[in-house]
Amino acid sequence: MTWLNSHPLSFLVFAPAILGLLILALPHALGRLSRMLGFMGALAFFALSLAWLLGHGGGGVLSERAPWFTLVGLPVDYALAVDGLNLWLVILTTFLVPLTMLGTWNSIKDRIGTFAAMFLLLETGMLGALMAQDLFFFYLFWEAMLIPMYFMIGVWGGDERRYAANKFFLYTLSGSLLWLVALLYLANKAGGFNPLLMGQAASLLPFGVQCWLFIAFAVAFAIKVPLFPLHTWLPDAHVQAPTAGSVILAGVLLKLGGYGFLRFAIPMFPQASMHYAKPIAILSVIAIVYGALVAMVQRDIKKLVAYSSVSHMGFVMLGLASFTVIGTQGAMLQMLNHGISTGALFLLVGMIYDRAHTRMIADFGGVAVKMPVFTAFFFIVTLSSIGLPLTNGFVGEFWILNGTFLSGFGWGRLYACLATSGVLLGAVYMLWMFKRVFWGPENKDEDSGTHHLHSDLNLREVAVLLPIVVLIIWMGVHPKTFVAVSEAPVTALLKDANAPAPRTFVLKPAVHEAAPSHEAGAPHEGAPEASIEPAAHEVHR
Amino acid sequence: MNLSPSQWAALLPLIIPSVGACLIAIMALDKDQATAKWIRGAMYGTALLAVAASFWLLTELWKSGSQPSFGQLHLDRLAQFTGIFVLVAAALTIMQSWDHFHQEGWVKGETLCLLLFATVGMMLFASTSNFVLLFLALELFSIPLYALVGTVRARSESSEGGMKYFLTGAVASSCFLMGGVLIYGLSGTLDLSMAAPILKTQGLALDPLVLVGAALMLLGFLFKVSAVPFHQWTPDAYEASPHPIAGFMSVATKGVAFIALMRIFPVSFAPLGAVGAKMQSVVAVLAVATLVVGNLTALVQTNVKRMLAYSSISHAGYLMLGFVAGTPAAFNGVLFYLVIYMAMNMGAFGLLTAFGLVGEKTTFDDLRGLGWKRPAMGVAAAIFMLSLAGIPPMGGFYGKYMIFRELVGTGHVGMAILGVLASLVSAYYYLRLLVALFLQAPSAEAERLASDRPAVHAPFAGATVLVCAAIVMAGGFIQTFLSDGFTRRALVEGLGLIR
Repeated sequence: MTWLNSHPLSFLVFAPAILGLLILALPHALGRLSRMLGFMGALAFFALSLAWLLGHGGGGVLSERAPWFTLVGLPVDYALAVDGLNLWLVILTTFLVPLTMLGTWNSIKDRIGTFAAMFLLLETGMLGALMAQDLFFFYLFWEAMLIPMYFMIGVWGGDERRYAANKFFLYTLSGSLLWLVALLYLANKAGGFNPLLMGQAASLLPFGVQCWLFIAFAVAFAIKVPLFPLHTWLPDAHVQAPTAGSVILAGVLLKLGGYGFLRFAIPMFPQASMHYAKPIAILSVIAIVYGALVAMVQRDIKKLVAYSSVSHMGFVMLGLASFTVIGTQGAMLQMLNHGISTGALFLLVGMIYDRAHTRMIADFGGVAVKMPVFTAFFFIVTLSSIGLPLTNGFVGEFWILNGTFLSGFGWGRLYACLATSGVLLGAVYMLWMFKRVFWGPENKDEDSGTHHLHSDLNLREVAVLLPIVVLIIWMGVHPKTFVAVSEAPVTALLKDANAPAPRTFVLKPAVHEAAPSHEAGAPHEGAPEASIEPAAHEVHR
Repeated sequence: MNLSPSQWAALLPLIIPSVGACLIAIMALDKDQATAKWIRGAMYGTALLAVAASFWLLTELWKSGSQPSFGQLHLDRLAQFTGIFVLVAAALTIMQSWDHFHQEGWVKGETLCLLLFATVGMMLFASTSNFVLLFLALELFSIPLYALVGTVRARSESSEGGMKYFLTGAVASSCFLMGGVLIYGLSGTLDLSMAAPILKTQGLALDPLVLVGAALMLLGFLFKVSAVPFHQWTPDAYEASPHPIAGFMSVATKGVAFIALMRIFPVSFAPLGAVGAKMQSVVAVLAVATLVVGNLTALVQTNVKRMLAYSSISHAGYLMLGFVAGTPAAFNGVLFYLVIYMAMNMGAFGLLTAFGLVGEKTTFDDLRGLGWKRPAMGVAAAIFMLSLAGIPPMGGFYGKYMIFRELVGTGHVGMAILGVLASLVSAYYYLRLLVALFLQAPSAEAERLASDRPAVHAPFAGATVLVCAAIVMAGGFIQTFLSDGFTRRALVEGLGLIR
């Protein structure tokens, strides 16, 4: 017990893996027991994470740090921490794992025990990567995470699962291996893998070298996000993965890319990240619009959701590239939103697929008549994905666009306007899909998907979807719950990065003497008071 | 002749396996059908006993910290390390070959006898810097291996592979001999660690003949580690030889050749700075070629053994990168890598035996679906393959990490990038094996054949596979213990590198 009190984070990270290995060792015939064991365990980890992390006061920093080993002269620390930047992502992870297990209870037909074990191993990888505060340690989890995901896609996936699993594995590996070289280079200069020391060492390097290192970091993270044009693995992986894999992939794995930028790439290379803010913003805008346009023409609902992920994660990257507090806070919230909404969409698609054995939009029509409860849930999640006010999607996207518009960079306004079209397109593809699948006359065709829908959601499925709907509304009405803790770290991060002050808009610019100097987008020294931004949640009010 | 205890201590670890080998050769004369079973057991028992006794002596020496020598035979820390390394590989090989040769229906005592002689030769090869002893040791382990490759005479391709290996190996050995002769002729001493200072005082450090001599010796080593362009024998020899022997060749031969190379080139030839630098640039170029050729060729293989052969070529490339970095920490990385590599490759070849694949039936298709049928073996296979690809948290990652870190530290960033790209390519073909094991259902015909045949029974091979998997995982989690307590001490106290 005393060990537990002093090492709650270690327990949270490694307990799922231990349980997973235990389940892996159970004989094949005990699959159902294994599944139940895995679910109960995951639920317990969620409860513990809530109790420990939120009970701790929410805003404080929990951390564990001890020297681990020194190999070839480089010390590696065993360092875990939960602070404002990752608190909610950690809880999102522990929340989504049991939820997904419950939501896909009967989707996996064979080797259910092994599947539960893989899921738990994956949870360890994700939590470890989210909490690790030493770059080597982070790298270990970052890579180790690929292994269970590879098997989840490859063993339980769709028809093209082998191709998709290999593509996912190798694509991600390619980015992180080059990143490893950059890490080693920097660790060699810094004498260790502590991000602070590495950041200091990086600031002493010539600017050109910093840029190269930043690119190596950025590419590794951008592949995970995924940022256009590095997104091509995502549709394959999402479509082929089993429902549970898709949910976790969208819900947590993609977040790790954005989180990596926020936690490591930007604080370690502030100058270089400012230098590349514009290219990243351009790619984000392309991702937003391109993802939405491609989603619009998809025939497969799951693929549509996959491309909508590209679009939504583009918003996250745009918010980060704006280098404003409100934009970054919006990106934080959007990561949570996307985890909830897209995760829920994948779950819903999985539920209809389990009944109809098809995901083609053309195979449906008039589902609303057959499955009213399902339709209601799908509609709420759709609205959240579109970003309707009062749902979570609205707050995140609004803050991001607001931050981009206000950003001290000269390109801010234009890109904010362009990205706004993504919101509109989002409504188009989601609602159009919704219309074709759920509304209209019932599809009477014998072979159609609608024909095979015999039962509406059962209690288990409703139990899975209810908390999601509650969260969607909660996050839309009172986002402060979820972003209050990250306010201080984000502000400090941007201050350390020396981000350009956001513009201020006043009704009579001619009277305001400071306004012209903001046009250049350079850090403004003269009137700091004028550039103090309102706190993110206050803007929303 | 009276030997002091210290001289005995240096000699016994080599004598015991030799005596064991001779005993086995005598036992193998027995042709009586009635007693064949018992004789077989006795032969394998003797072999294991001999290896275990030698292993025990070496570990005692390691614990006591003494570094005895007998004439030109120096059983220093590095030699003890090599001895332990080779003996463990030999023990794993003996266990696996019991199962494999029974599956092949070709249980002969000679193979064990040859294997033990090869083991002795390898231990000797890493324990001396005297040229004559080096050459004798080289031949002592090469000739039994030529024979072992072709040992299953019933298969025609077996003798073909053995012949190929023998012919190319003979050329490499003679090159090695010629190189040594040139160095001897110019310096007048057979001890290579003495030759370098003498050549330097004579002002011959950059003499073309010295360069030619050094280059020819390097060629001999590079042939043994199967570096490009001296690699062509590897896939054929591995494919032809019995699985355990292929595993033994891939780890032990490569390991001792690298360790001996370490003793000769960076250490003994250190006084001849210019020669060392030139050889290092040659190694750099060949390392690049090895990585590129090994990995790209492995991509298109359909036979698991040929894939593993090309993978072993590419691993020679990573190990050579350690020599390119050339720092003591990089050599430590090389030794660490070798230990993990021994476990990974012995395990990977052991899997083939554990799955009961004999003869030509070693394609990826023959492995389909086996991971689910034998879960323990499947998990072990996943550990080996991911470790070979260098994915954390397996041990193979740390080997690569140590070598790449030194490469980056010495300014060879380009080489490090090439190295990681090579391991990206390698991930593809290692994943192919996992795809076959887990992601593909067995073909209908294979199912039918499998139901006809009796269940595969390979307890010893299975046990070795699990042991190897444990070592690989240990390399990932107690890497510091291995590297500081074992490999680093071998370097510090054996070669006097890191002070």
